[in-house]
Amino acid sequence: MTFIKDFINVLSAASISFVLLSSVFAFIVYFNLFDGKLKSKIGGGFIGFGALLIVAGLFIKPLLYLGITYFLIMFVLAHLGGRLWDHKTGLWMLILGGGFFALSMLDGNFYLIAAKPDNVPIAAMIFLLGFFTWVALRKAYLNDRQMLAGGIPWEKTESDEKLFTWPDLVYTEMLCMIILTIVMIIWSVALRAPLEEAANPTSSPNPAKAPWYFLGLQEMLVYFDPWLAGVVLPTLIIVGLMAIPYIDTNPRGNGYYSFRERKWELGIFLYGFLVLWSFLIITGTFLRGPNWNFFGPYEYWDPNKLVPLVNVDLSEIIWVKMLGMPLPKLWVIREMFGIIFVLGYLGLPPLLAIGPFRRFYQKMGPPRYYVGTFLFLFMMSLPIKMVLRWLFNLKYIVHIQEIFFNV
Amino acid sequence: MRTGEAWTGEARTGEAPVLHKDGPNSVKPQEPIPHNYPMPRLNAIFAWSALGLLFATGLMVAYDYVRGWKWFQVEFLRIQQQRIEAELTAAQAAANKDQLKALDEQIDQQTMAIAAHRNQYLIAQKELDRQEGRHYAADEDYRFAKAVLDAKRYEAEAANLQKASDRAAKQREFEAMTKRVNDLQLILQQVTRDRDAAKERVNQWLKKIDDAEAKKKDLNAQIDLLTKQLETVDLKRPNNLLLNLPMLDFISPTLKIDQVVLPDLFVDVNYMHIPRVDRCQTCHRAIDRPGFESKKEAARLSAELQKKLDTYQIAAEKRKDTEARIAQLKRIQDAPEDILNPWRTHPRLDLFVGSASKHPLLEFGCTSCHHGQDRATEFGRAGHVPPNPKMEHRWKGTWNVAHRQWGWEENEFNESPMFPRQYYEAGCIKCHSNQVQVNTETDRRTAPGKVAGDDVTKAMQTVELYGCYACHKISTWRFTDLRKPGPDLTGIAEKTTPEWAVRWISEPHDFRSTTRMPSFFYQRNMIGPYVPAGEKAQNIRNQNAEIHAIVAYLFAKSTHRVWQAPPSAGDAARGKALVESVGCLACHVQSEQIKDEKTGEIRLARRDDYPLERNYGFNFTGVGTKTHPAWIYNWIRNPKAYYSEAPMPSLRLTDQEASDITAYLMSLQKPQFMMKRVDAADPKAVHDLAKGYLLNTMSDVDAEAKLKSMSMNDQLVYLGQRSIEKYGCYSCHNIQGFEGLKPIGTELTIEGSKALHLFDFGFVHKYQHESGKTEEVQHNVPSWIYNKVRSPRVYDDQRAKGYNDKLKMPNFHLSEEEARLITMVVAGMTKDMVASNRVAAMDARNRLIEEGRKRVSQHNCRACHIVDGSGRAIAALISDTNFLPPDLTPEGGRAQSPFLFNFLKDPTTMKIRPWLSVRMPTFHFDDQETNALVAYFANEAKAPMFDTTRVANPPAQNIAIGREVFTMLRCSQCHSTAPVNPENPPVPDIANAQSLAPNLTLARVRLRHEWIPDWIRRPGEMIPSTRMPANFPHDNETGGFKSPLAGAIDTPAFATQKAALLPYFHNDEKELRRTMSDAVALTDYLRDYIWSIGIKEMRPAGEGGVTVTPLPSMPAAPAPKTGALEKAPRPVGAGKALPVGVGQAPPPVPGFRPTK
Repeated sequence: MTFIKDFINVLSAASISFVLLSSVFAFIVYFNLFDGKLKSKIGGGFIGFGALLIVAGLFIKPLLYLGITYFLIMFVLAHLGGRLWDHKTGLWMLILGGGFFALSMLDGNFYLIAAKPDNVPIAAMIFLLGFFTWVALRKAYLNDRQMLAGGIPWEKTESDEKLFTWPDLVYTEMLCMIILTIVMIIWSVALRAPLEEAANPTSSPNPAKAPWYFLGLQEMLVYFDPWLAGVVLPTLIIVGLMAIPYIDTNPRGNGYYSFRERKWELGIFLYGFLVLWSFLIITGTFLRGPNWNFFGPYEYWDPNKLVPLVNVDLSEIIWVKMLGMPLPKLWVIREMFGIIFVLGYLGLPPLLAIGPFRRFYQKMGPPRYYVGTFLFLFMMSLPIKMVLRWLFNLKYIVHIQEIFFNV
Repeated sequence: MRTGEAWTGEARTGEAPVLHKDGPNSVKPQEPIPHNYPMPRLNAIFAWSALGLLFATGLMVAYDYVRGWKWFQVEFLRIQQQRIEAELTAAQAAANKDQLKALDEQIDQQTMAIAAHRNQYLIAQKELDRQEGRHYAADEDYRFAKAVLDAKRYEAEAANLQKASDRAAKQREFEAMTKRVNDLQLILQQVTRDRDAAKERVNQWLKKIDDAEAKKKDLNAQIDLLTKQLETVDLKRPNNLLLNLPMLDFISPTLKIDQVVLPDLFVDVNYMHIPRVDRCQTCHRAIDRPGFESKKEAARLSAELQKKLDTYQIAAEKRKDTEARIAQLKRIQDAPEDILNPWRTHPRLDLFVGSASKHPLLEFGCTSCHHGQDRATEFGRAGHVPPNPKMEHRWKGTWNVAHRQWGWEENEFNESPMFPRQYYEAGCIKCHSNQVQVNTETDRRTAPGKVAGDDVTKAMQTVELYGCYACHKISTWRFTDLRKPGPDLTGIAEKTTPEWAVRWISEPHDFRSTTRMPSFFYQRNMIGPYVPAGEKAQNIRNQNAEIHAIVAYLFAKSTHRVWQAPPSAGDAARGKALVESVGCLACHVQSEQIKDEKTGEIRLARRDDYPLERNYGFNFTGVGTKTHPAWIYNWIRNPKAYYSEAPMPSLRLTDQEASDITAYLMSLQKPQFMMKRVDAADPKAVHDLAKGYLLNTMSDVDAEAKLKSMSMNDQLVYLGQRSIEKYGCYSCHNIQGFEGLKPIGTELTIEGSKALHLFDFGFVHKYQHESGKTEEVQHNVPSWIYNKVRSPRVYDDQRAKGYNDKLKMPNFHLSEEEARLITMVVAGMTKDMVASNRVAAMDARNRLIEEGRKRVSQHNCRACHIVDGSGRAIAALISDTNFLPPDLTPEGGRAQSPFLFNFLKDPTTMKIRPWLSVRMPTFHFDDQETNALVAYFANEAKAPMFDTTRVANPPAQNIAIGREVFTMLRCSQCHSTAPVNPENPPVPDIANAQSLAPNLTLARVRLRHEWIPDWIRRPGEMIPSTRMPANFPHDNETGGFKSPLAGAIDTPAFATQKAALLPYFHNDEKELRRTMSDAVALTDYLRDYIWSIGIKEMRPAGEGGVTVTPLPSMPAAPAPKTGALEKAPRPVGAGKALPVGVGQAPPPVPGFRPTK
């Protein structure tokens, strides 16, 4: 039992769970969703990635856990294949997940955090999220299968029919309203509102957490400066969401569920929403403890836990560690590599347009393509920075304290 | 397969909707449109969900209605109801049924009589009705006219002032109205007379009935009252039931939250201070109501009240009330079950919570003392803190819901949780921190056992005596301006040897089990159970090196004065007798062996085997091993010569006495202590430790070079300096080279308010204390402090710290009780704000008193004397109260300030009790300190600081009468009136202890004029242990005093005196007898006599208490009586306030009723 708990504690470390989730996500979406068969070329990449993890794990123990788990999941998923989206398997996985969660409640430390009245809705959110994602993808899967067989999506068969507002719409809405009210009342009776004593500015709670829906942002603060994580990225999220209808002009999938016809659109959205947003909220809620330290789900939130702060800037890595030189005094020279890196990253869209993204460039046209890629690159800057942090303890790529500009 | 088929398949076969068939504008659909969902099913869902919503709403209302505090209130009402019903039954049983029956008969008879003369009665009644009507009208006319008159007056006045044209008319109107009012008044008077006459006629018939009814009401008063009370407490009565219904209970429920707003006591909500709003009595219903005490408290209280009744003179009505209260308390003691919290009455209602107490509920509430969340109404949220782990487990309950009766959980966000039970008195500190003695008002002589406030007073004394303030800054008045608690070390080399010092520092408790010097070395975090073996050996080497280094430093910096050896050898046996008799043992203890009271075995003594006062000086054990004769001799002769701030006073020992005592003290050896093996300092450890310090400021190479240039001794001295700095030795001791350094410990001024998360609990939940007891560390501040002081290094358990990073607080080896007291003080020092009008002892008088009390505590006066009703630790050694130093409780009212000043500065100026072998030492007080003490005594007794009564000259007649009374009361049996030298009066016959009393010729320069008669009347009340007999017993009926001479003057034994006295009363025997039965007059005459024989001057003390040439002035014997036969005037002084004529009753003395 202890071994299982330790194993899960290690796995849930942000570095491991994030990488695992990202890679398994790709696997689920691109292979399992449709037919469960590995395409040789990309499939080889997935196996290669797993092997890399195992080899690295010989030196870095957590990566070994990661590699083993990764292969296990891949094996199970490959075996399940399309059955993940049939009635039983998907629901069973959700039920098993819920059961596992319930079983974990027997652990004192887990219970303490999961049963906190403020955290209960977020625990519920995990399952709701899982359920709705499954429902949507299942429908897409069924439609896709039907369409491959030459049929039409199920929604299309319905769209010609007419229905009355009353009772078909309003009646059901009213029922929803009543039932939700019941749920809310019972909930508020059963769980005490987590009110605390008067706030004390000289003694802030440890950990001091944002409201749950901002925990994703707060998690970003671990990797980015406030001006990026708190201003630029949230602004881009909002702007990006607003821009979606103008960028995504793919007419297919309109009015019906389909994955095959919108692979990239849905993939990017789901990755951004599930992994980069929801997962960070869950991490921030359940796995971030005192001093914003990371705690596995079965670990005790010890406020005295100490984690060494040994992050370094890119300039230090290059100048001091690689070139064996002191840091240049002039910041332009000192941060030269970082600036080149950042500019290079932002300059990727034209290169990509002739490279791997050629298809998109041709399909979308330059304005849409550049806006879309720009947004995509910004989104991907988060996982990139996270991985860089975990691999190289990288603090800042560009660190110009002279003008308070850090990336 | 199509998804969603399961949902729709059935629906589509459902009925088509009925549309408007005939409407002109109705658009008929092309085809029947099927519903997406089957309607019957939706209807069913709707029905069920509607029921569900109803249920949820009911749940919401119920949840809102059922509050934890309501249960407590209902339960309390049930308790009350039970009591009232029992009392009602008793009252009904006790009702005088015969009398009630007789009254009923009387009413019946009169009713019959009225019926018999029905016509007459009706006529009279009718007439009365008519007259009432007339009276009403006349009265109204008159009152209205008066109102108009006032308006007319204003109009006339205003018109006159404004010189209006119609002012004459207005004036006339006013006058007319005046006349009319007068007329109406006359009419009203006439009508009233008529009405009264009519009423009288009716009353002839009704009077008997009314009287009987009134009597019945009187007889039933108790029952009626109880019945009414029952109505309010019985929840099943329709009225109560209705008011408390859910949803209706917003109007005026009988179950409701009770609160008291306290504008002077603040809650810090961080942005501002807001008044406290205490809601505790919502559940603690009986907190301010007497009658719900616990059995224990009831027993204590009834014993106390009974003692008060027996001891004091109490007026009759008050006596009756007290007796009723005692009866009530007896009933509580006899009740089958004890009342439990929260329905109990607060203990000591006379001090706390009670409306007549010093801390009434409406002004102080609860949380101002107890702490906790003032507005909370739930047990778990109010900040209750379990006093021990057992209680904590009980409160928390288990997973079994049935066991979770309290539902308590730790609330980490509560910034001021309550003080656990054993630290309740910590709550006193925030308002009483500028007092030495918290409770000064309670009469300690009548209250048996511990008195409220004693705990915290003792706790603060403990903190003072043990010197916590030296290392930990405490910026309250109580703990500032105190001397360093440890002895001066700047002359250590003159006193002892390095060999002894090394062993002493290693473990002071090996030398003296009661020492206050704590153990710094070889403690739990150095050699304890969690230290790895290899590290342990290194730690021991390091510690040994540090000890040697500290000693090396101290001896290197010490002065080397040479002390003269005792002139003669001295006799140890005589010395022992002296030590035991002159008073050394008031502050010191002779041996560390003590016989255990429980087991009867001889064991090592602990500090708390003795009162705090006897821990003031060191334990004599092994003092001969520690030092040498020359030092002891000079120290006891003149302690200030060695160390100018030495707290030890001079006992004015002669050379021979000092030599004897030196011989005795040198005989107290502890050779086994010096045989303890001590390794020399390990050079490598010294080197490494010293280098560790050097590395703070220089590089490794430089440090090595520097160390190489130093000899081993230099290294030791350097390390010693660093170690003294590290351990903070200088905080308690004067050490050369550490002058003016800040104390080493954390400041404790607001430690009680420090947030819980700032306390480092380490990894400790449970540990084994050095005494073998397993201690649990609860997660609350008091528990942390308790375990910190009890086992200061325990929070290092299982931690991997560097040698110099380990906790350094030394181990005082505190007992549980000592640790509890110290915890109380530390936890009680909070940052709570209190309005200045709620802070205790803030006025000028009380400041003077507290300054004095602080000095009393500093100089350990209580070791010998009773001050403010407590003290005299020396009483444990002297069984005969005749030979104890005096009780100073009434000293302020007793002694004249000039005398007190003189005596305190130099006690040799007067020997009041020459038979005492205990000596009042010379403390070498300066003028300021002496004045502080004198002001304290005077103010404490509310006596004038400067009184000039010493010059009062009583008239000769009074003296003569006084002398006869003196003879009759046989005062001379004990008191000598022979003139003596006040500095060296003859010692009376000690064998006859019963007759030891001060020489009365010393009274005039010493005692206050007004105090003497008061003292003669009630000596036992002022000083319970006095041998002075109560010649004037209490008269409980009048509350005054009885005179023993009241009847005795006519007995043959006093024939001579009677003959001698009669002339002073104009030979009026009645007057003589009246005076002889007047206690106040007699005691005044006695005083005048005593005043007349007293010396008028005493030798003034020299500067700084130095003896000056004595100039005794012998008292003049009073002139023998000649036949000046005037009527005796009033004694001087007694009649000052009231002019009293000849032959009048003596004036009342405040507080006492004159005997008649």
